[in-house]
Amino acid sequence: MSKKVVITSINTINALGLNIDDCWQNLLKGKSGVKNISSFDTSGLETRIAAELPAEFEDYASNFVKRRISKQMTRVTKMGIVCAKEGIGKHFDTEYYPKERVAVIAGVVNTGYSSLEKQKDDKNSILKAMNNSLSAWLSMDHGFTGPNFSIATTCASSAYAISLGYEMIVNDQADAVVIASADSVINPEEIMGFNELYALSTRNDNPELASCPFSNDRDGFVIGEGAGAMIIESEEKAKKRGASIFAELAGYAITSEAYNIVSPKENGEGMLFNMDKALSHAKVETSDINHINAHGTSTTLNDKYETLAIKNLFGKNSYNIPVISSKSMIGHTIGAAGIIEGVITVKSLIEQQIHPTANLINPDPELDLDYVPGKARKHNMQYAISNSFGFGGHNATLVFKKYV
Amino acid sequence: MTAITEEIKNDVRKIVIDYFAEECEVNTDEINNNTHIFDDLDGDSLMFLELIELFKKKYNLNIDLKTIGKYSLKHPVRTIGELIDMQILIIEHENNIINID
Repeated sequence: MSKKVVITSINTINALGLNIDDCWQNLLKGKSGVKNISSFDTSGLETRIAAELPAEFEDYASNFVKRRISKQMTRVTKMGIVCAKEGIGKHFDTEYYPKERVAVIAGVVNTGYSSLEKQKDDKNSILKAMNNSLSAWLSMDHGFTGPNFSIATTCASSAYAISLGYEMIVNDQADAVVIASADSVINPEEIMGFNELYALSTRNDNPELASCPFSNDRDGFVIGEGAGAMIIESEEKAKKRGASIFAELAGYAITSEAYNIVSPKENGEGMLFNMDKALSHAKVETSDINHINAHGTSTTLNDKYETLAIKNLFGKNSYNIPVISSKSMIGHTIGAAGIIEGVITVKSLIEQQIHPTANLINPDPELDLDYVPGKARKHNMQYAISNSFGFGGHNATLVFKKYV
Repeated sequence: MTAITEEIKNDVRKIVIDYFAEECEVNTDEINNNTHIFDDLDGDSLMFLELIELFKKKYNLNIDLKTIGKYSLKHPVRTIGELIDMQILIIEHENNIINID
């Protein structure tokens, strides 16, 4: 019998809060974290809005990262470290397992070493740009000598990291895996880059309404910044050490579309294939799934194809499954989206409650699933899935199970 | 070659201690010659490089990092006192430090 993989720590920081509890409360209220960008002068940019972290982040971070070390990393890496260290501190005994049996995997697209960082301080450029810096610092901070590495699969990076962590537990390569991710592309060059692709919303006049997944008004995604962290262990070992178990990671799928560098495969065929494979891996039927935390970007194609994929896979039952987009409030956190939304999905299973999809005021008539518009609701859930789809055709679906 | 005076010695000592106090977030009176840079201050090797750059500019020194690297292999620096002594030797001998036993 294969091992059960369980989640023993969750945390996130994003525009709605600097810890999972604050974020969760704001999500339930349907509060938007999207505002005019405050971190630099956006004059001349087509997009001037984003979901930035609360202003108190830097002060808060000083509780977790010494000033000296802080100068050797970017703000993005610091976000990941703060988020993971708080999670580790609350839920994990770093001395319990042999240090070589603890691994660290980071989902990192890049470290956010942007023009803004370079203007602030151009020292330690190599250390700041190293893609493995988040996992390396976490390993050093706690003395974990198991493998530490990062995975870059664009917007699916951290969901891939969780998937690889699952394999390390099942194959006995580690007793515990710390998974972390952080991202922010809130800088002039990356905003211009996404604008070139017509990927971003330009509803600058109404920031809070701009991220409106599944709506007829959607005109692109809104960038968010944030971080997420999880610890996974085998159920047997977690129980033995007396850990609190938040949910089971029942299975996953990671696949490639091999189709287009930015667009998803027509009619969501790749998305469907991926979700189907994840359900098989978790050994569950479509009828077992009670909730979907969608990739739900608020772009024309993603929301249409993801909806089609869900309808084609789940059939008539798709109308009974609440499908939500966390991005409607925290924006698209790119490489960190998979783990942040995974954390939110686990929280939903714990609380048996689903946050709303914000800004679904004018629904797209083609998209007719239950997207939980406007208001949170209680919902009985055994299984929930979280989707992440990235540029380059990287698809990931995580299957979580309520832990009893 | 620079002739080392008491003034230079005091200057080096002050700069080194102020630098570690600032970077490692400790009070200057908590740092003495026996303070271990790694164990007591949680310092790192990059701090040596930053200090060397600082002294290179201040004293207009002709010193290559590779020379310091070779010297450090023979004379490892672990404490604040050892670091101050090495900085004074660098100011005094510059690239010729490699010829000192």
